[in-house]
Amino acid sequence: MNWIASLAPRFAAAGRRLSIPLADLLVLAYLWAIGTCFTSFILYGEEAYLLVPWWVMALAVVEGAALWESFGVSLGMRLFGRWLSREDDSSPSLGQRLGYWLSWHLSLPLFPLSFLDHEGQTVAERLTGTVLREPPADAPRGRWYRTSSGWAILLILFLTSGAAFGITKVNLSALIKGAPKTAKFWRSLASPDTSILTLGLKLLLETFFMAMMATVFAVVIAGPVSFLAARNLMRGPLARPVYFVVRAISSLTRSVDAIIWAIIFAVWVGMGSFCGALALWIHSIADLIKLYSEQLESIDPGPLEAVAAAGASRLEVIRYGIIPQIINPYLSFTLYRWDINVRMATVIGVVGGGGIGWRLAAHLRSWQFPEASMLTILVVALVWAIDYVSARLRAKLA
Amino acid sequence: MPHLAIDHLTKIYERGKVLALDDVSFSVDKGEFLVLIGLSGSGKSTLLRCINRLIEPTSGRVFLDGTELTALPQRELRRWRRKIGMIFQQFNLVKRSTVLANVLAGRLGYVPTARTLLGRFPREDLERARRALERVGLLEKMFVRADQLSGGQQQRVGIARALMQEPELLLADEPVSALDPATSHSILKYLEQMNRQDGVTVLCALHFLSLARRYGTRIIALKGGRIVFEGSPSEIDDAKFKEIYGEEAEQVEVR
Ligand SMILES: Nc1ncnc2c1ncn2[C@@H]1O[C@H](COP(=O)(O)OP(=O)(O)OP(=O)(O)O)[C@@H](O)[C@H]1O
Ligand SMILES: [Mg+2]
Repeated sequence: MNWIASLAPRFAAAGRRLSIPLADLLVLAYLWAIGTCFTSFILYGEEAYLLVPWWVMALAVVEGAALWESFGVSLGMRLFGRWLSREDDSSPSLGQRLGYWLSWHLSLPLFPLSFLDHEGQTVAERLTGTVLREPPADAPRGRWYRTSSGWAILLILFLTSGAAFGITKVNLSALIKGAPKTAKFWRSLASPDTSILTLGLKLLLETFFMAMMATVFAVVIAGPVSFLAARNLMRGPLARPVYFVVRAISSLTRSVDAIIWAIIFAVWVGMGSFCGALALWIHSIADLIKLYSEQLESIDPGPLEAVAAAGASRLEVIRYGIIPQIINPYLSFTLYRWDINVRMATVIGVVGGGGIGWRLAAHLRSWQFPEASMLTILVVALVWAIDYVSARLRAKLA
Repeated sequence: MPHLAIDHLTKIYERGKVLALDDVSFSVDKGEFLVLIGLSGSGKSTLLRCINRLIEPTSGRVFLDGTELTALPQRELRRWRRKIGMIFQQFNLVKRSTVLANVLAGRLGYVPTARTLLGRFPREDLERARRALERVGLLEKMFVRADQLSGGQQQRVGIARALMQEPELLLADEPVSALDPATSHSILKYLEQMNRQDGVTVLCALHFLSLARRYGTRIIALKGGRIVFEGSPSEIDDAKFKEIYGEEAEQVEVR
């Protein structure tokens, strides 16, 4: 077991040595591509990422990274908190830097050799007697505009926003000329078709209950599970793995948008409000677990200690030490999530989750603007009302 | 047989490998008011928490009335904790709960869990809470939220909570460090009263030597997790003081 444990720092050291050049190569390649794109826009007014043969770019990027890391402190080195120095922390001589640059080219193909060394030193470091290590605490710190990494970041930001203009085809004249075409839409918005009011209300209710169901049943699950996802409560060799598993599952679930879940469930249980409720439910569970458990992690441990010292059992510690501290924030988060769910329920409806959203999308697609207008007004009224109620209640809980 | 006996107690914190208590042994008789002094980080809190095992000691034993607390299983330990009251520097009240709820928490060791989970305490306990609050002069604050009280009042709620346990031993971890001098005295007088009238043995960590001299019947000084002085308050002269607090220290008087 011990030698396995000793592998971990070795892998970390070697992994960092691999990550630094990879990060630099990535940054330089990106800069080259986006820079080309930017210049081609200015010169020829069209998109192009490669104006030179690809091997010219590859060579430039690799040499750029090699030179940057040998003679300066590259962005990758800063990112991973390493810089090049001699064993005694002094700065390498010019000769050493030249040698490092030449042998740098060997380091990447011979990279596996780094694993043999417990500090993860690369070929280039060993040949030149230098070492990539954490800068000493008293190392001089330049202002950002005096460092090459600072300039690299500035350049990335500038070129990216410049290129973004061209790539998204910003077209101001279309924005102005096209405006009159929407006149019919605006006009019918002012004259909603009241004959579908009852149908609209029925659909609105369906959407509302979709959100309600999703929230209530999400609380039932997320409430207890959040305790398993709170780092401060899940100490000990048995609890920690459970914590990690719950955390991983819930953050994975949360990273899938509710709309995607709706599409999945539309296939699974068919379209309709059940599908929509399931999608919101799954997403709410994951979201509430995160919100709840973060609240748990920030509780004051003092009262728990005091209650335990009086001879309380584990359940009593939860009931008298933890619950009073979290109950209001939990309710507040639940209201907040309920608010979101009502809003989302409409959007989910569009992709197959039923309710008013589905109908609204259908009307819009067939250019039936008076009907669409009626439904839009209903949705806006509901969302506004829920927003107001939820905000008022949450203010009370604070 | 001493009331409380500490036997070669050592605590090493895994995180940071800190030796917080280094082979500490002493004993306390019933009715003593023992004051622990020492610089910040000398191990006072660790020692007090090892006694009721809020912190598990690395090695060594703790005896209360001849029973080895350090050998008890969790269930038994909870029964023994009822006899040991504790008050804290930061009061450790549930701030969002009422004063009454906080005081009743002192009975959790006595009332069966099935009842307390529903929030139903026996009538005697409500009566007891009333008496405890009356004793610390906070009867009219019974239904006020704890965070509405001043620091001194909060500590009195802490004392009332300890009173509810009807303890034989009281552990007090710097109970007055967050309070002004006048309030400090009023709080320590409550501890003195418990000690003299109810015969509760008190172990109290204090920062100011003047307070230690005024209230303690005996003083133990810790330095770097070891006992560097043990004796009566009058025995601490200037030389001893410098040994405990370091050469630069000046005696600060709190009247
Ligand atoms: N949970 C912990 N993990 C790691 N080290 C700790 C922990 N708690 C305390 N220590 C260390 O143990 C030593 C003793 O701490 P302790 O809190 O017992 O001192 P103290 O005398 O109560 O100090 P203070 O007067 O500041 O309350 C200190 O060096 C402290 O840094
Ligand atoms: Mg302390």
